[in-house]
Amino acid sequence: MKVKMKSLWGKPPLRTCYDTVIIGGGIHGLATAYFLARDHGMTDTAVIERRYVGYGGTGRNTAIVRANQRSQENLRLYDEGLKLWPKLIAELDFNMMFFNCGNLNLAHGEAAIGAMRLQVSTAQFFGVISELLDAKQCKELVPALDISDRPTYPIFGGMYHPPGGTLRHDAVAWGLAKGAAAKGVRIHQQVEVTGIGVEKGKVVSVETTEGIIRTPRVLIATGGYGTQTAGLLGLRLPIHVLPIQAMVSQPVKPFLNHVVSSGAYHVYCNQSLKGELVTGSHMDPWPTYSTHVTAQYIRHQAEALTEFMPILRGLRFMRIWAGLADMTPDMAPIVDGNHPVEGLYLDCGWGYFGFKSGPVTGKYLAQFMATGECPEILKPFTQRRFDQGRFLGEISTPVYYGPWN
Amino acid sequence: MSFTITCPVCGKRDLYEFRFGSEERGARPAEEGLTPEAYWDYVHRRTNASGPQREWWFHRDGCGTWFTVWRDTLTNREVIEPE
Repeated sequence: MKVKMKSLWGKPPLRTCYDTVIIGGGIHGLATAYFLARDHGMTDTAVIERRYVGYGGTGRNTAIVRANQRSQENLRLYDEGLKLWPKLIAELDFNMMFFNCGNLNLAHGEAAIGAMRLQVSTAQFFGVISELLDAKQCKELVPALDISDRPTYPIFGGMYHPPGGTLRHDAVAWGLAKGAAAKGVRIHQQVEVTGIGVEKGKVVSVETTEGIIRTPRVLIATGGYGTQTAGLLGLRLPIHVLPIQAMVSQPVKPFLNHVVSSGAYHVYCNQSLKGELVTGSHMDPWPTYSTHVTAQYIRHQAEALTEFMPILRGLRFMRIWAGLADMTPDMAPIVDGNHPVEGLYLDCGWGYFGFKSGPVTGKYLAQFMATGECPEILKPFTQRRFDQGRFLGEISTPVYYGPWN
Repeated sequence: MSFTITCPVCGKRDLYEFRFGSEERGARPAEEGLTPEAYWDYVHRRTNASGPQREWWFHRDGCGTWFTVWRDTLTNREVIEPE
C-alpha cells in the first residue's frame, strides 16, 4: 500500500513583508516562532533557514537535558525548561521520545566531591532534585562502572540528578516546526540571509538570496553561526566558536539506564533507545566553522570510556560527527534585544547548552519580542554584562571545562 | 584527514601539538584614558572572521614558541597570507 506522506510544515512562497523575521530554523528559532503565535497572537512570522530545519546544533547535540547548573540565574531557566518538555510534547502531540533516565556526574577526587556538594546544595535550595552519591551507590545505579582503584582516576562518588534525561533532537525540531506552521508561521528553508537593513538605528529589512523582506523585528537564532549573522551588522560578540565532536557505537543490549558523565575523563555517554552508546567529549580548543571530525577523538572516547566502564572494550563506533559550540567567557548565553539596534534580538552564545534551553528560551524570548520588555528570567543574560566585567558564576564549576582550563 | 600548523622553528606539525591563542587583535590599548567599556571590548569581543584570519598559536608540545599564522576558519586549514 502506498502511503502519501504529508509535509509537516509545508513550503510557502516567501513574502516581501513580515511582522517578525527569525533567522535560523533550529529549536531556538522555531520555539520562539511557536510561542509568539501561541501566547501573543503574532502569527505573521517568517523563519529563514539557510540549509534545512535542524541542520545545525539542533541536530548535532547529544540531546541530554538537565537542570543541575551551578549559578542561580542559569538554574532557574534550565529547571523551568526541564519541566516544559512533557507539557510541550502533549501540547504539540508529537513524540519527542523523552527518556527521563536521570544524569550521573562522576567525581574522581576530593576536589570534585567538594564542587559537587556546592552544586547539589544550590540545586536543593531551588527545589531541584539532585543528590550526592558515594562510589557504591554509583555502582548500584550503573553496574557497568568500575569502582575499584584500577582506573587512573578512581571513582570517588557522583552527583545524581533524577529529573534529567534525553530526548530525540530531530523530533523536537520537527514537532516545533509543525506546531508553529499550524499556527500560521511560515518556514522558509534553503534561503540564506545576506544582510540586515538598518535605518536610523532601527531594523527595517532583511536581505536574502530570494529577495528583500521588510520587517521591523529580527531575531538572530543561528546558534554556532550567530557570530557570522551578527557580523552582517558589523557586531562583534564575546564568543568563541569551537567544534565539538560526538559519536555513536554499534547497538548493544540495554546496559546503561542513565546519562553518565565524567569531568576528569572529559567524556559523557548514554545508551539510546536503539541500543547505541551515544558519547561526546570536550571541544577542540580552536575556533572554526567547519564540522570536520578527527581520529584524535575516537581514540580519546575509547580510552576514556573503557577506563571506568571496562565492559565497553571491543565496542565499535559506527558514526562520528561534529557541531559548533558558541562559547562565551562565562558559559552563560547572550539573550538581548533592542541593543545596539532597535528591533534586533540576539539569542546566541549557548555553547553546548543550546538544546536543553531551547523551548523555555523561546517562550520568554517571544514575550520579550512581543512586548519589548525583557522578562525577569532572561535579564541576567544581557550582552551588556561584558561591558561591565560582570560574569555569571557558571565557569566556577570545576566539573565543566573549556579551552581556558 | 589531518590538520597541521607550520611552526617557525619545528616546521609543519600536527595541530594537536599546539595551543590556540587568539585571533590577532592588535596591541593592548594604552592605559591612559582607557574606559572600562573599551577595555572589556578588547578583552572579550572578537571578529570571528569566517574565512582567512591571522591568529596566534603556541607550540605547547614542541619548542614553546608563540607565533602567528593565517588559517581559514571555514576549512580549518592553514593558508598563505591573502594579498
